[in-house]
Amino acid sequence: MNALAQIGPDSTLISFRNVYAAYFGDIHVLKNLTLSFRSGEVTGIIGPNGAGKSTVLKTLLGFLKPSAGDIVFDGRSLLGTPSHDMVHVGVGYVPQNSSLFLDLSVEDNLILGCWPVRRDGARVRRAIDRVLGDFPMLAPFRHGRAGELSGGQRRFLEIARALLIEPKALLFDEPTAMIAPKYASEVYDHIARLARQGIAVILVDQNVRPCIQVSDYVYILELGQKTMEGDADAFRSDERIRAEIGRWLEVSGG
Amino acid sequence: MTSLMTGAIVNAIALGILYGLLGLSLTIVYGAMRIANLAHGEMVLAGSYVAYVVTTQLGYSPLAAIPVAFILLFLLAFALFAVAGRRLQAARDPEMASFLFFYGVSLMVASGLLFLFDADARSVIFQFQPLSYRVLGLVIPKARVVAVGVAMVLVPALFLFLYRTTSGKALRAAVMNRDALRIVGVDVERLSLVAFSVSAGIAGVTGVLLALVFPAFTPFSGLDYTITGFVVIVLGGLGSPLGALLGGMIFAFSEQLTTLWIGQSAGVLAGFLILVLVVAIRPAGLIGQAEWKS
Repeated sequence: MNALAQIGPDSTLISFRNVYAAYFGDIHVLKNLTLSFRSGEVTGIIGPNGAGKSTVLKTLLGFLKPSAGDIVFDGRSLLGTPSHDMVHVGVGYVPQNSSLFLDLSVEDNLILGCWPVRRDGARVRRAIDRVLGDFPMLAPFRHGRAGELSGGQRRFLEIARALLIEPKALLFDEPTAMIAPKYASEVYDHIARLARQGIAVILVDQNVRPCIQVSDYVYILELGQKTMEGDADAFRSDERIRAEIGRWLEVSGG
Repeated sequence: MTSLMTGAIVNAIALGILYGLLGLSLTIVYGAMRIANLAHGEMVLAGSYVAYVVTTQLGYSPLAAIPVAFILLFLLAFALFAVAGRRLQAARDPEMASFLFFYGVSLMVASGLLFLFDADARSVIFQFQPLSYRVLGLVIPKARVVAVGVAMVLVPALFLFLYRTTSGKALRAAVMNRDALRIVGVDVERLSLVAFSVSAGIAGVTGVLLALVFPAFTPFSGLDYTITGFVVIVLGGLGSPLGALLGGMIFAFSEQLTTLWIGQSAGVLAGFLILVLVVAIRPAGLIGQAEWKS
């Protein structure tokens, strides 16, 4: 059933339906937001500082409860699902700040990434070998402390860890912030590859140009509202959109 | 080496491993929940009273008190956490709320013990066969050998759990990055519940073992254990199991050697002096977490 639903004409995996969310009282950070995220595509979310981009991810992950609206994943509402169950549901997350356990070994970080299937030792070993095969740069450090990795290597370890239990959706919050430029393009390459493997990738990014470059579909948020959306191709070529982006890049200093 | 010196070293090793055990259970709770359990010493003391009831009052071996203390303290802590845990974590200032809450619990347990057992000092009275061993010219009571023997089984078992099992790794990871645990799918609330209950169980067992080593205890001895526990884990590095063991050894050695060279009253002072020096020079403790350094 699920497979059929995914390969149907509309491959929408996640949808936000008129979502409102607030950190305090009724000061809404997200206002009546309707978004959809499809399997096999990178959906970019861009916008000036304070637009609510990261809040979209936090709300989706259950860290912040919507005050109104619904978030639907694969046909069922995600509301009320605790954050720690998102991995079980099939939603992986690579946050902006480090989510590694720096004093544990690279392998132990991966072992904890297999938490939902931890009782199946053979599956854990297979999954770890698989991701280390996909991220060969991590293999030599397998038994070293994660804290000894460089910024770029740490980010790859986080991505590898998120892939261990084969998520249907993977959320990235500023994946190339705070890492060396030589790794940044590699991170974007990986993001594109994940989408080609059928994962619904959501990419929140300050770096507008590479984000639009790697995305299939783009949303622009401003003050918690959707101000523009469309195929990334249009965003790459449309003068009006480029001007708009230029305007708020100036405002946010981005 | 004089026999006094040998005696001090043997004592230090024995106490060091028990202090290490005390620190281990405290550090598990601190690591998983980021709370200072001020009632930890009273949980240890409750274990000592279990030993008192099982041996002195009922006439069984202190070994029988070990599972009783573990199960009793585990269940009490489980109930306590089930009632208060979620509320404390949801409080506006969880650390201050927990601090006050556990201070209240420590007073409550102490007054409960006072009510049940009066203020007189109690001791574990049990005739081991033989009563003592003679090694290297030292007379070592069998009670002490038993206590250290049990600790020497428990400590490696705990280390195996913390360093080799996935749940143990999750517990150690909690002190490094609690939010990231949620991201990989760990139910942190549940982990805290288990950590708190297991820690209380171990504290109870530690209480049984300490009752075999120290001659007597009163309902007010808990504070000493709490202080020793905190000194040990701050010395070693908060949240580090290896640090707790190292801290326990250092504290016990400084106590015993100072007692030998200067006198009994200087014994405890030396431990605190080392604590202050370590915190001044290396605030993260001897084996501090990377996060604390950066």
